[in-house]
Amino acid sequence: MSHLWSITFMVFLAVVRLNADEGSARLLLSKQIHNKYLVEGMDIVVKYNLFNVGDGAATNVKVVDNGFRADDFDLVSGQLKYKLDRVAPGANTSQTVVVRAKKFGYFNFTAAEVSYSGEGGSGVVLTGLSSDPGQGVIIAARDYDRQFSAHLLDWAAFAVMTLPSLGIPFLLWWSSKSKYESIATKKD
Amino acid sequence: MRSFVIAAALVAVASATCTDPKVQASSYTPADSQVLNAIPYIAEFSLKCGNGETPSLFADIDGDLVPVPQSIDGAKYQVSWIKELKKATTGDISVALYDTEGYTAVKRSRERGEASTTAPLVTIVVSYPGSYGGPMFNSEHFALAMSALVFYFAFSSRSSLLA
Repeated sequence: MSHLWSITFMVFLAVVRLNADEGSARLLLSKQIHNKYLVEGMDIVVKYNLFNVGDGAATNVKVVDNGFRADDFDLVSGQLKYKLDRVAPGANTSQTVVVRAKKFGYFNFTAAEVSYSGEGGSGVVLTGLSSDPGQGVIIAARDYDRQFSAHLLDWAAFAVMTLPSLGIPFLLWWSSKSKYESIATKKD
Repeated sequence: MRSFVIAAALVAVASATCTDPKVQASSYTPADSQVLNAIPYIAEFSLKCGNGETPSLFADIDGDLVPVPQSIDGAKYQVSWIKELKKATTGDISVALYDTEGYTAVKRSRERGEASTTAPLVTIVVSYPGSYGGPMFNSEHFALAMSALVFYFAFSSRSSLLA
């Protein structure tokens, strides 16, 4: 009889544990840079994707990205710190931010931080880090222009510089041609 | 006493909807997309409700209903998405915003497969006039073409003069 009771108690414990684990939220945050090149003074597009892979909703979600300091980056549009009231299980949400780099060189893109609680006001605040884009090279603006700009001004200058070598022989020929043509017509 | 508390709670929940919503929005799309892989469409707006609420909103982006992030102080909301360069469309894009009740109503009607009749709380417009994607043709190709033209002109004139 006591054997049966202990078995019942074990089963009860197992069932209770399952119920306690169900409904836990788990957030994954990915931070991605959507640029072909990182150039000083040009836009850098950063996208944060938040996925709830848990069974329960996440409440009081706060995402903070301290990786773009004000003296190194200009915030063009978007918010680097944001919050969401509730992220349902299986839902995903995204945020896009555009920054501009003020300096060139190697830059380590660090992870953003997320903090959230499970549903039901359990009071436990869970934290996580986003994916880390790693180190990138921010190219100086003048190096980018040297390779990619249209160079229209340079080619116009080149055209002006070639004008003497084309123009002087042509003018000489033209002056002698018109002189001989006028002599020829005068003779007739 | 308990029924009074419950009634008060119900009233509080019912008044969580936003009355008389007023929106002030500013949007950003890049003017120069030479170095980008995808175009971001970002709209930041502040919502003023008649009853002073700051409700959580859901935006309809490309047919998906997503929650709208708020700034930490709750003053501004931000709706943003990105589109690959090739698929980015120019023009004005309207984004419908729903509060929680509107969201559940729209989701239910979409699951049933019928068109939703719920009106959005507010609608904001993000305009993308297009962006500079780099020079159309390389200047060195143009210079090559011009020099070939000059050479052809000179050579043909020379041939006709000597003939």
